[in-house]
Amino acid sequence: MAIMNIREAIVATLHAEMERDPDILLLGEDVVGGNGTAGGPEAIGGIWGTSPGLWAKFGPERVIDTPISESAIIGAAAGAALSGKRPVAELMFADFVGVSLDQIWNQMAKFRYMFGGKARCPAVVRLVYGAGMQTAAQHSQSVYAMLTAMPGLKVVLPTTPADAKGLLTEALRGDDPVMFFEHKTLYGVKGEVPDGDHRQRFGEARVVREGGDATIVACGRMVNFSEKAADKLAVDGIGVDLLDLRTTSPLDEDAILESVEQTGRLIVVDESPPRCSLAADIAAMVTERAFTSLKAPPAMVTAPHSPVPFARSLERAWVPSPQKIEDAVRRVLAFPGRSGQ
Amino acid sequence: MTTLTPFTMPKWGIEMAEGTIAEWMVAENAPFTRGTVLTLIETDKITNEVEAEKDGRFVRIIAEAGQSYPVGALLAVLSDGGEASAAEIDALVASFRPSESGFDPEASSTPSPPSAPPATSDAAATDIDPALASPTAIQEARRLGVDLAQVQGSGRNGRVFAQDVHQTAYPSPSVSLAGPFPATPPSSVLSTPVARRLAALNSVDLSSVAGSGARGKVKRDDVLAVLKQTGAEAPSPPAPDMSAAPAGDHAAHFDVVPMSSMRRTIARRLTEAKQQIPHFYVRRRVRADRLLALRGAIQGERPSVNDFLIRACALALMEVPALNIQVHDKEMHRFSGADIAVAVATDRGLVTPILFGADDLSLTDIHGRMASLAQRARTGKLRPEEFTGGSFSISNLGGFGVEQFDAIINPPQGAILAVGAARPEPVDDDGAIRIVPVLHLSLSCDHRAIDGADGGRFMAALAKLIEQPHLL
Repeated sequence: MAIMNIREAIVATLHAEMERDPDILLLGEDVVGGNGTAGGPEAIGGIWGTSPGLWAKFGPERVIDTPISESAIIGAAAGAALSGKRPVAELMFADFVGVSLDQIWNQMAKFRYMFGGKARCPAVVRLVYGAGMQTAAQHSQSVYAMLTAMPGLKVVLPTTPADAKGLLTEALRGDDPVMFFEHKTLYGVKGEVPDGDHRQRFGEARVVREGGDATIVACGRMVNFSEKAADKLAVDGIGVDLLDLRTTSPLDEDAILESVEQTGRLIVVDESPPRCSLAADIAAMVTERAFTSLKAPPAMVTAPHSPVPFARSLERAWVPSPQKIEDAVRRVLAFPGRSGQ
Repeated sequence: MTTLTPFTMPKWGIEMAEGTIAEWMVAENAPFTRGTVLTLIETDKITNEVEAEKDGRFVRIIAEAGQSYPVGALLAVLSDGGEASAAEIDALVASFRPSESGFDPEASSTPSPPSAPPATSDAAATDIDPALASPTAIQEARRLGVDLAQVQGSGRNGRVFAQDVHQTAYPSPSVSLAGPFPATPPSSVLSTPVARRLAALNSVDLSSVAGSGARGKVKRDDVLAVLKQTGAEAPSPPAPDMSAAPAGDHAAHFDVVPMSSMRRTIARRLTEAKQQIPHFYVRRRVRADRLLALRGAIQGERPSVNDFLIRACALALMEVPALNIQVHDKEMHRFSGADIAVAVATDRGLVTPILFGADDLSLTDIHGRMASLAQRARTGKLRPEEFTGGSFSISNLGGFGVEQFDAIINPPQGAILAVGAARPEPVDDDGAIRIVPVLHLSLSCDHRAIDGADGGRFMAALAKLIEQPHLL
């Protein structure tokens, strides 16, 4: 076990996997890390610092700076993956996935299906997402729900360094396109990372806490915020089950249902506006499949239906906060009528 | 070795859902070569030939001529040449599954739900595989005495969750609104649909129920409260008696004959025409004695009276171009030549092949072409372009002794002429009364594009041509 942060875990995993498999290549805007700057290549390690040392070690054939064109990045990755490579395509801001959406949902997601299982597209798209750094409306969104809605894609959101390593390794060894979401505020989160080969299977939620009074389902940064809320609730003797989804496609429905059957109360936390969101999807799934276990209506803690504001105070009000999560848990627990059940 | 393959209803165009076998062109077991026309298939748009893609023979013909079959349905069993035993053919027919061709999700076969897991039948067993049921489901099954093996699991691979156990354990709610839908006469009492239905099923007078809804609206619970008071606690509607014969036992007195696709097309188009086109009718008596005399004087093969009328109409259309049109929404299409559709009765219904450029055709040409068109119309072999278009139609029922009738316009054409039989009638012949054969003509015009004066002019021109047939 080593202690490292999520950024370091991703860098270490890319180094290890690119050494192991010569077909893996990395492409994106400024992934070499400093081309054209006074310091030269490698000066910065990429704008998010997730690629230092890769260009020096693996050379320009495998670490490729691209023009500022998401459709070129994703198109090249889709073609490379189809012809036997394992590209890792980095989108500096997940918000711009829209530019390359056809390449993702009509091409990457469909190749295997439309060629009767004979084609494979082992591309990993790393998308940097999330609000909290005052990057404003076009650089702060959480678009994982949209990609989760597309069959044929796997959607991954690591929240710990161990999962960043385990899930990225799993993505690079699988044969399907993976949308790997990295929250821009979580790169510095530290934790223990298993040494050696570490793979985390997709579709297995992480049980962060087991408390029994209510079930909180979250992903990405909302897992960390939910832990903070859980700490406050624990002071009052309220114990929550907290599930970190890890992957939203596939979704670990069983883990959610098992927990709700025991607690009878569901709070879904989602860093997105509420309409057609992951929160709405999970609340509906639980309402349909565990109705007889529910003691209160499911609660959704989401952002408001608005773009992400730029002003610091407004952005903080926009993001679902630990306080809002705590309030929602208390509200669900206080729901009258059926608590004696 | 003989290879057998299914011969199925083809799909011509994305909206084709079914086709009718107009005629089989090869016999069962008769060998044919590549390119042979195997069958004629009629859709609601066209009749088309299906050619053999390679040499072979039909070892069994299943579809009957005149019947409709959905796209993908098995029409015959095709052999690559050799003969096949009845057992082999039966096996292919039995195993045949038509490919999906419809758009209605209800039409496709629903895959059976995953079968219940082979859960242990002993609910008290302590070591139930957690892959088969969630922990709470196992606990609830024990508490409620439910045998997990009897529960249909809703989870992945049929895994049982608590709700599945609860649905098995608890009976469904009691109040039922099922039953034959009662006729509810319009009521002045403000009430919800469910309340009306409940009241009708249980003979409750709605006007006697105090409504608890907005503005005194009677709601379900109000009716239920009345039922409770009157003792009819569990309103159980009379079960529908499905076995009862329909009133009057009509079934014995008629055969149900499904409309062919062609009949349905005729029905649809003429309904549209009669509903949407403002028809007006211009009628005229025309003496036909000179035309009949002229026809009688022709040596050899004589054109029919109808051929004369086609020629007369063609020339009259040239004279009155206001009638030589198609009507399209906000446009009129004026034609330079006379493309005249002639109604031909066939066994399968009305067909209207078109004589293109009739104004440029001699009587002999018209006679020859009409004979060919009518023959192919009766055998369903017209090409689509031969019955599409035209600006004017002629329908002649004179052969049945019909004196006079009015016809429905064949859209987008602008007008149609209905022709009756030539009957002896008195006419004014230069001051004298003479009895001569007289034709009754009735012209139906689309008043959106054609005015009464145009119709009158056309009929005058037509009458002149018929009464002075040397002009033809």
